[in-house]
Amino acid sequence: MQSSRGAAPWCTVPDVRRSGPEFGPRRSRIHGVPLALLAAALCASPSLAAAQTEPTAEPKPPASEGAPPLADAPPAPPPGEASKPADPPPANDGQAPKRPDAGDVKPAAPKAEAPPAAEAPKADPPPPESGFFLGTYGRVGAATDFRKRAGRDADIVARGSRLDESPYVEIDVQRQDYWKATGTTTRAVITLGTSAPLFHYNADFNVRMAVRNLFLQANNVVTKGLSAWVGSRMYRGDDSYLLDFWPLDNLNTVGGGLRYDFANGRTFVAWHAGLNQPNTGFFRQTVARTPALNQVGATNVNILDRQKFITSLKASHIVNVGQTGGVKAVVYGELHDIPSGQRETEVKGTYDTLPADFGYVIGAQVGAFTGRDASHVNLFLRYAGGAAAYGEFGTPFQLAPDRTSAGARELWITLSGNWETGPLGLMAAAYFRSFRDASPALDFNDVDEGILMARPHFFLTEWGGIATELSYQAQQRGVRSQPQAEPGQPIPAPSADPVMGGLFRIGLVPFLNPAGKGSYSRPQLRLIYLLTHRDEGARSMYPKDDVFSIRQWEHFFGVGVEWWFNAQTTYGG
Amino acid sequence: MNRARSSAVVLGLVVSGITQTGCMEFEDPPEVELKTNVVDWREEIIYQILIDRFADGDWGNNFSIYPSAPGKWHGGDWKGVEQRLDYLDELGVTTLWISPVVKNVYTDAGFDAYHGYWAQDLTQPAPQFGDLAALQSLVKAAHARNIKVILDIVTNHMGQLFFYDINGNGQADDPLNQSVPGTPDVFKENEYDPTYDVRGVQAETSLGESGLAPVIFAHDPASNHMPPFPEILQNPLAYNRKGRTYNFDDPDQLLRGDFPGGLKDVNTELCPIRDAMVDAYTRWIELTDIDGFRIDTVKHVENGFWRHFTQKVRQRLAAKGKTNFFMFGEAFDGRDQLVGSFTKNGNDAPPPADELAKDNQCVTDGVPLTADMLDSVFYFPQQFQVIRDVFRYRGPTSNIQKLWTERTVNYGVTPAQGGAVNAAGQGISPQKLLVNFLDNHDVPRFLFTGAGMYPEDPIFGTPLALETRRKMLHNALLFLFTEEGIPCVYYGTEQDFQGGNDPGNREDLWTSGYDRAVPTFQWIRRLSELRRKYPALNKGDLQILWASDRTGPNDSDANVFAFERTGGDAGDSYAIVVINANIEKEGAPEFGGQPMQVGAAPGTVLVDVLNDGGPTYTVTNDGRLSVKLPPSSGAVLVPESQR
Repeated sequence: MQSSRGAAPWCTVPDVRRSGPEFGPRRSRIHGVPLALLAAALCASPSLAAAQTEPTAEPKPPASEGAPPLADAPPAPPPGEASKPADPPPANDGQAPKRPDAGDVKPAAPKAEAPPAAEAPKADPPPPESGFFLGTYGRVGAATDFRKRAGRDADIVARGSRLDESPYVEIDVQRQDYWKATGTTTRAVITLGTSAPLFHYNADFNVRMAVRNLFLQANNVVTKGLSAWVGSRMYRGDDSYLLDFWPLDNLNTVGGGLRYDFANGRTFVAWHAGLNQPNTGFFRQTVARTPALNQVGATNVNILDRQKFITSLKASHIVNVGQTGGVKAVVYGELHDIPSGQRETEVKGTYDTLPADFGYVIGAQVGAFTGRDASHVNLFLRYAGGAAAYGEFGTPFQLAPDRTSAGARELWITLSGNWETGPLGLMAAAYFRSFRDASPALDFNDVDEGILMARPHFFLTEWGGIATELSYQAQQRGVRSQPQAEPGQPIPAPSADPVMGGLFRIGLVPFLNPAGKGSYSRPQLRLIYLLTHRDEGARSMYPKDDVFSIRQWEHFFGVGVEWWFNAQTTYGG
Repeated sequence: MNRARSSAVVLGLVVSGITQTGCMEFEDPPEVELKTNVVDWREEIIYQILIDRFADGDWGNNFSIYPSAPGKWHGGDWKGVEQRLDYLDELGVTTLWISPVVKNVYTDAGFDAYHGYWAQDLTQPAPQFGDLAALQSLVKAAHARNIKVILDIVTNHMGQLFFYDINGNGQADDPLNQSVPGTPDVFKENEYDPTYDVRGVQAETSLGESGLAPVIFAHDPASNHMPPFPEILQNPLAYNRKGRTYNFDDPDQLLRGDFPGGLKDVNTELCPIRDAMVDAYTRWIELTDIDGFRIDTVKHVENGFWRHFTQKVRQRLAAKGKTNFFMFGEAFDGRDQLVGSFTKNGNDAPPPADELAKDNQCVTDGVPLTADMLDSVFYFPQQFQVIRDVFRYRGPTSNIQKLWTERTVNYGVTPAQGGAVNAAGQGISPQKLLVNFLDNHDVPRFLFTGAGMYPEDPIFGTPLALETRRKMLHNALLFLFTEEGIPCVYYGTEQDFQGGNDPGNREDLWTSGYDRAVPTFQWIRRLSELRRKYPALNKGDLQILWASDRTGPNDSDANVFAFERTGGDAGDSYAIVVINANIEKEGAPEFGGQPMQVGAAPGTVLVDVLNDGGPTYTVTNDGRLSVKLPPSSGAVLVPESQR
C-alpha cells in the first residue's frame, strides 16, 4: 500500500516495493540548463586543491566541446543561449524571465528536450570553472483537512500527486576542477537528504539524514566524450514531474559507471554497475559469537552477508526536428543478481540456505520536445522480472515455492509531458502499473493500478498564476473484500472480484513564481486546496478507525513551497 | 526501422507486457456450486491433517514461523496440502480432515494458534494458511481426485479474547494476587483464566465480592487479540463468563465453564448465537463445497444446540444442492454412553417435550426441530479400550467384544434425517458410521514410548524396539481399516512418527521427505486398496468370530481376535479378518483344539489377500476355520471366488 495511513501530517508511507531512502528524495530533475550556467552557480569558490590548475575565468558549456555532461549535467539550452557565458553567481536575479530555467534555478526541461550539442557554437568555450558549488532541492508545507486534523497524502496508488507530499530537503555540495594537464574535469558530489517531520512541527530535536550522493565523476578521461564515475550515486534518467518518479530508470547503488557521448552530442551510451545491501534479514544476518582466542565477551559475526549486484546499460539518441525540437529514443536494461547465502535458523548452530536470485529489466522511452517553453512528452515502457520486480532496494517477499523471486513481474507504462504557450501551461501524466509477486496465487501485494493526472497552469502575470490539478487514480489488489453483515442477517459472501478502489481529485493552486513564469519555474510558493472523493473500494483499503476508511470526501488545504537550485547535477543515466 | 515497424515493436512490447502480467481475477467465484460428492461415507478413508504441520506450499504466508518450537507456527498451509495431493492419493486416503480454517488469535502466552482452535473471526480465513482462493483451490483439486474434505470447527468456545476485570483496575493481571486476609494464596490464576464460579466470575475488592466481574476485550492487533466476529460475539452476553472449568463431571462446568487455557465459553443457549454459528460455519461450505464437519468439544455444548445446529446446517445445504453432508463430533472422553449420546437421533433417546419445545423457540424458518443430532462421533472409547489397552498394552481381545456389544445400546440406531446416507439414499445408522482412529493430535502417537505409555513402567521398563512397535502399529491399522465404521489416519502415522503428548505429537511431516517407500506408508496403501476393493470391508455387517479373555503365554488364542463382514450394503461380499495382537507368540482363533466357527459355507476356500503368497484356508464341513498367525500379524480372508 503506498498511500499514507498514519496520522502524521504530510506523511507518506513508503511503497513497500521501494522502501527505504530511495523513496525519500522526491524531486524532479529536468534537464535543460547548460553546464556553463552550472559553473556559474551559487557559491562558486576558488580552488583549494594544491595540485590543480588554476580555474579559467571563462567557463564554457561542456556540450559545446563535445564532452559528456558533467555528472548528468543538463543538456544545453536552445541555440543562442548555449554560448552565453554564465552569469556570475548568485544568478537568482530574475534577469531571464522568459525562461523557466533562468539563472540557476532548476532546469526546465528533461534531457529529452536538449537540442543537439552539434548546434552549439563551433568555437571552443572556456573550460569549466573550478571551485565549490552548493545546491539544494526542497519542499515544505503545512496543511489541514478542514476537520482540525493534519492534511495528509491521500493517494492509494504508488505514485500520485506531489502537492501533498511530505517535506523533504537535499543539500548538494560539489567540488569541480578542470585539470589543464589532461583536459579532464572532475566533480565530487556530496548530497545529504532528510525528510519530515520537522522540528518546528513536532518539537523533536532529531533529524535522520541520509548520504545520498558521494561520488566523483571525471569527464573527458582517456578520450574526449568518455566519462567515468565511482561512488554512491542516485542514477536516473528522465522523470515524470507530476507523479514524482522516474518511470524508466532509478537506481541507488554504490559502484561506478562509464558513459560515452558521441561527437554529435545527441547520442550516448551509459553503463553502470553497483552494489547495495538493504538492511533486512534477506541480505544480512549478524549473530553474536564468542570472540576468538579465548577472549571474554561477545562479538558480532555476519553469517549472511550477501549483496545485490545491479548493472545497467542505457543508450540514448536524439533526432533533431526543426530548429529547437527533437525526438528522443532510449533503450534500457538492468540485470540484478543476488548470490545464495546461509542463514542461521532459530535453532542455534543449524543453518538453512537461501537460494540465489536473479532479475532483469527491459525498457524503452520515446519522447519529443519543442525546445521552447519546456514543452515535451515522454512515453516510458518498463518491464521487470524476478528480483528486479521488487525494485533495486526491494527485499523480495511472497516468494515462489523454490524460495526465489522467479515469477515476480512488474510492468509500468507511463506517459508524461508538459506544454506551454503564452499564458497557458498544461502538465499531464498517466501510468499503468501491474505488479505480481513471486507467489503464484493472488494476494494483497499483487497490484494493478494507474492514474490520469493533469495540472493546467494559467499564468496571470510573470510572477504568478493559478493552477488546477485533476486526477483519477484506481487500484486493484489481489484480495477479496468482506462486506459486513447487518445484525441478525447472514454473513454475505466476499466480493467476487479482487478489491478495487478509486479516487477522484480536483485541486486549486494559486502560486507565486519569483523566478518568472513557467510550469517548471522554481521556487514556487503555493496555496493549495485539494478535494478528493474516495469510493467504497478505496475506503476499504484503509484499516478500521482510519478516517480514510470512513470519509468519502477529503479536503487538503495548506501552503507549500518547492525550490531547486543547482540541485540536479547528480543524474548519470 | 521505419515508423510502422517501430510502432509495431512498441505495441508488441505493451501487449506482451500486459499479457505477461495477466488479468487480476480469481479462479473461482466466492460462492461455489454445491454438490454432493460422497456416495457412502463408509467407503471413505479419512486422513487428519494439521495444516501448519503438513506441507509449506507458500512462503508468502510464513508469518513469524518458528519451526523448532513445537508450540509455534511452522509454516504449513493449504497450498502445501494441494501440492501433496499425489502423496495422499497414493497413500489411498479418500477424505481429508483439515484443521480449522478460521482466523485465530495468533499467539497467546508464548504459544501460537497453529492448530486453529483459538478462533477470533469466524468469517475470515487464517492468513497463516492462505486466503479463500487457496482454500477453494485445495478443495477443488481434492475433488478432482475424488478426495473429499472435512472441516474442523469449534462452536463451544472462542480464543482467549477477553479478561475478567476481577479487581477492577482495568488491566489483565497475571497472577491475580487477591487480598485474602491471613493467607498469601493466589486463588485465581489470572484474570484471563480465573477459576469457575457458578454465579459467574465475581469481581472482588479488599472488602469482598462486588458482583459480576466486567469483561474487557483485549485489543492487540499484533497478536490478533481483537474483538471477535461475527459481531454478535462482541457482546459479553454471548459468553457464559463463569471462568475455567476444573471439574468436568460437574454438568454446569462442563457446559458453561471456559475451556482450560482461557478459551471463552460461548453461550450457545442463546438463539441469536445458535443462528450465528449456523450461518458462520455453513458459509464456509458455501464458499468451498467442503463435504463435512468434524466438530470439536461436543460434550461441552448442550444437546439443544446440536439439534439446532446440525438440522439447520443440513437444511440450508440441502436447499443449495448438497446432501450427505457428514457431521461427526469429538468428545475427548472414554465414557461410551456419553460419547454415544450425541448420535441418538429420532426416537433413540428423544429429549423431553419441554426441552424440545424450548429449542424450537429459536427456530425462525418454520421448520421445527426434531431430536436429531450428529451423524457420528469420534470413537474415543475405542481408542482407550481397544487401541491402547488391546493393541498397545496387549490386553484381552474380549475388551473389543465388550465395547462393541455396548455400542448397540450406547450409540444411536436411527440415522439423522437428511444426514449421511448410503448409495440408495437410505440413512445410515450412527452405529455403523463411527469414526475410528488409533491416535490424533490430542493423544500420544501409537508408536510413542514415553512415560505413561507402553511399556507401563516408564522407569524400569525397556521400550520395545521400533520394529516390534511398528508390527503392533500395522496390526492396529489392520483392525482400523477392516472394522465397522470409517477409518481415520492421523498424518505422520504413515511415516512412523512417534511423538508423545501435545505438542510432541504434532510433528512437521516435511521432515520425512514424504517418503513413500517406508513400510508403514506401503502398509496403509495396501490396507486402503483392500478396503476399497472388497465392499464387505467397508459396508458389510460385522460378526465377531473370536474374542478371548486369555493373554497367557500358553493360551493358543491369547490376544487373538477375529470377525467376519458380509451382508448389509455389501451384498454377498464376504471377508474374515483375523488378528494376532500378541507380540511374542503365534496365535489362532481356537481354544481346546476347537477352531472358530465362521459364516462361510462349508467347503469355501478362503484366500489371504493381505499377505502376498499367503496360504488358502478351507471351511470345514462343520463350518469351522483353522488359521494360525505369527506374532503381531493378521490376515484378511476372502472367498477365492471373490478374489
